[in-house]
Amino acid sequence: MRTTAIFALLSPLILGPTSAYAHAYLDSANPRVGSTVASPPGQVTLHFTQKLEPKFSKAEVRNAAGARVDAGSSASGSMLRVSVKALPAGTYRVHWRVLSVDTHTTEGSFSFRVGR
Amino acid sequence: MSRLMLQRLALATFVAIVPGSNVLAHCFVGGRFFPATLVVDDPCVADELSWPTVSYFRNGDTPSAAEVDVAVEYSKRITDTFGVSVGSTWTHLRPPDAGAISGFQNLESSFKFQFLTDGAREFVMSAALGVEWGHTGSAAVGAEPFTTLTPTVFLGKGFGELPDRLQYLKPFAVTAQVGYAVPTQSSTTAIDLDTGLATATPNPQFLMYGGSFQYSMPYLKSSVVDLQLPEFVNHLIPIVEWQLQTQTSNFNGEERTTGTINPGVIWVGTYLQVGAEAIIPVNSASGRGVGVIAQLHLYLDDMFPTTIGKPLFGSSTPTSGKPSFGN
Repeated sequence: MRTTAIFALLSPLILGPTSAYAHAYLDSANPRVGSTVASPPGQVTLHFTQKLEPKFSKAEVRNAAGARVDAGSSASGSMLRVSVKALPAGTYRVHWRVLSVDTHTTEGSFSFRVGR
Repeated sequence: MSRLMLQRLALATFVAIVPGSNVLAHCFVGGRFFPATLVVDDPCVADELSWPTVSYFRNGDTPSAAEVDVAVEYSKRITDTFGVSVGSTWTHLRPPDAGAISGFQNLESSFKFQFLTDGAREFVMSAALGVEWGHTGSAAVGAEPFTTLTPTVFLGKGFGELPDRLQYLKPFAVTAQVGYAVPTQSSTTAIDLDTGLATATPNPQFLMYGGSFQYSMPYLKSSVVDLQLPEFVNHLIPIVEWQLQTQTSNFNGEERTTGTINPGVIWVGTYLQVGAEAIIPVNSASGRGVGVIAQLHLYLDDMFPTTIGKPLFGSSTPTSGKPSFGN
């Protein structure tokens, strides 16, 4: 009886996870987090560690004055693309908020700089 | 446990670790991730299992005994912001002038409410009532015959709001907790076997306080600057924890303040984290020499998001609308 109860309690661990999903976390970005790029990027791409729910995942880019400089974002698989207007030299901040396919929400932000 | 079960357990652990070279999980507050700490509690509620936490040290007894503790703690969210946890510790004592003693400490449980989560400021607060259930452990290893109640307040704060010129300080975060332990009996009466006389020992009340100071390499990479360090390094969180307790009433004549300082590191993966810390006693009443504590901690909410890893009631799953940045 006791062995059965212990096995029942631990069986999910013993048999392994029911799915291979978890929180989506920013794995890499282009332009790279905290980097300085010489020429303005046409878009900002964010790569996450899990697949995303496109409906509930988005990002935006703002300049140093706080004004939005992006033209919207779209998610596909584990990647989020943000189209940006022609960016003059300056510092930009990317805010992202995503929902992984297992319903965990994560968010974050980072900066990059255009110009030397 | 049979060999087949051990093989399955090893396989489950392997499955949990291998895909985990990229991701974090669990106690997120905005862009900040607070790992489960080994000595004090983190400020969130979650579905998690610390299994096991193993520590070795020389305790503060006179004379000091070598002590090994093996603990397990299971935490379960009832709702998104309210959770309960249950824990048990097996203790093995080896005094210098006597035979070894083993047994379980009292069963412990906690009822925790995460009442404030401010993602923009990376700030979180929660309150809990801890209960150590008297008479559930072995008196031979020091388990008390009375129940102790400990209301505690927790907080966590990330330094992500610092100005960019201090960017390398942004990955720092602190957690803190303050509680007050109240025994349900003011004294314990025991019969002296030699004299047959009853003696009453006071059960002191304690102010319990502790916290952690941590530097998140995952935060550095994803929110400050991607230095393209080795992936293993990007998953590390160097940390110093401390845990102290001070007798505030009903003193028993011993050193009033005891505790430990615990420097170490936590590696964070997709479904689990592994941590190891030194145990440095703050005075001789807290222990002798340097001990060690290590923990395997499983993120049940990520391992089993649709079954045992989700709250019993309510869900964080959005049903409509687009995500908002609040600005």
